[in-house]
Amino acid sequence: MAGSFLDDKEICIVAYGETKIERRGGRSAYEIAAEVAEQLYKKTKLEPSDIDGVTFTVPLSECSNPFWSGYATEYLGISAKWLQTSDIGGASAIGNITRAAMAIKSGLCETAMILGVDAPSTQWRAYYGSYRNEFWDPVGVQGPPGAFGLLMNRYEHQYGLDFQGLGALAVAQRNGAIKNPNAYEKLRQKITIDDYINSRQVSSPLRLLDSVMWCDGGNGLVMMKTSRAKKLGLTDRVYPVSYAEISNFDCANQTPDITTTGHSVVGPKVLKDAKLKPKDVDMFHPYDDFLFAVMLKTEQCGFAKKGQGSQFLRDTDLGPKGSLPLNTGGGQISCGQPGLAGGGVNLTEALRQLMGQAKGRQVPNARNALVTGIGVIPYGRNWGTANAMVLVN
Amino acid sequence: MANTDVKPRPLPKPTPATQAFWDGAKRGKLMLQWDPVARKYQFWPRANSVRTGRRNLEWKATSGKGELYSFTITHVPTPGFEDKAPYVIGMIELDEGVRIIANMVNMTPDEVEIGMRVKVAWEKLSDDITYFAFEPDKRSRAKTKPKSKQ
Repeated sequence: MAGSFLDDKEICIVAYGETKIERRGGRSAYEIAAEVAEQLYKKTKLEPSDIDGVTFTVPLSECSNPFWSGYATEYLGISAKWLQTSDIGGASAIGNITRAAMAIKSGLCETAMILGVDAPSTQWRAYYGSYRNEFWDPVGVQGPPGAFGLLMNRYEHQYGLDFQGLGALAVAQRNGAIKNPNAYEKLRQKITIDDYINSRQVSSPLRLLDSVMWCDGGNGLVMMKTSRAKKLGLTDRVYPVSYAEISNFDCANQTPDITTTGHSVVGPKVLKDAKLKPKDVDMFHPYDDFLFAVMLKTEQCGFAKKGQGSQFLRDTDLGPKGSLPLNTGGGQISCGQPGLAGGGVNLTEALRQLMGQAKGRQVPNARNALVTGIGVIPYGRNWGTANAMVLVN
Repeated sequence: MANTDVKPRPLPKPTPATQAFWDGAKRGKLMLQWDPVARKYQFWPRANSVRTGRRNLEWKATSGKGELYSFTITHVPTPGFEDKAPYVIGMIELDEGVRIIANMVNMTPDEVEIGMRVKVAWEKLSDDITYFAFEPDKRSRAKTKPKSKQ
């Protein structure tokens, strides 16, 4: 498909909402959803009765409920004509923008609310099946950190890995979280590259400060046709203009190069569809479950050469006024990861920046953002779902 | 010896699609599924070929030999491994052209190296389950040069 079905700017985002991220906050995903939805109503002057489409990210804390979307919208008092829950984990946030855009464009609904809410540090209800019981859990792999330890060592073997570069990224994101009142409070403290290097090994070479921390929280947004937004006087408008997604990249290959991810396909595609070169990107908001994932994406989205991502991070100013502002609100690693709503942390910061509301960390003249998502850790590879989106204001 | 804080190691619960793998393991044979159309192996065991989608897979006993594609040293143990940390998890590329994630045994973390030759080893976890692990294989040489696409 040439170009993108989004590039006519017929659809826009008119508001975002986000809770402060907490750890073991005690609230359920429903209660968190209520807070996000209230923020969205206040910003848009819409009522629950105005919302006729809703899409969620499946929460770890509620995923034993096969009727989550129905329960959650009933809780919120929303009567929906279009309802769905996406289960592509951290890729769901931008994935749901695209799904909602399709629903609006096809007339299934007019005003869509996209919610990512989760409370896994309060309540964990996930169960996986497939290979996990027989071929993964009995081996003693330390979950996603174990998978990333394997990935990082292979990368280091093929290309070398400058941990100072990962440390520089950790510091840059932490500086963002310090300026972000929604970040988990305990993470809003300065760190140094040495703090990163000296943090304890979890599944080497992966360290504690390479990783996200499970937290609770939520985020969301409202989308509609641009013509309707104008009619309603909603002036904070951000347009998703290109999107691509791939799940289980190269999956039949039993001996793939695991250092090549689905982002090597979707990253360049969304930039091309948005008619941007990497140097034209005003800011990068990559999904960050681990620092190394951000590093690989700087290569695969075209900012750094293959094998040189860690040097790129070491030598690039990633702050709001730098040459590539990156996860300026701290990302998930420094804000805390609100479970599978985590993809919305990166997305919400991009929206905040594009609406000119990133107080104390605003990227000057930000016109566009590249946002990525990651969902699911597969067996012996990198990540299951890779997606990317370009948004403009 | 296991200390008192060691939780039970999770035990696989075989299904009809995986039973032959565990039957082989009990006999000390590393069984892999062979796709007779693609003429290739696949891992982990499941009901269908990942290449053709057909349920016509055959089981073959393999050499159990390969080389280490990657590894990680686990410092924060998972249930059942509390007395073993730090321990090595390997991603092994078998000579048959599949990768398996497994415990590395009979070696210390400082001996591990990508590219080292390894062979299957077995740990009896229960009367029903003998579990695969890998250990250094100093005598083995690759039958064919293992290909890891760069």
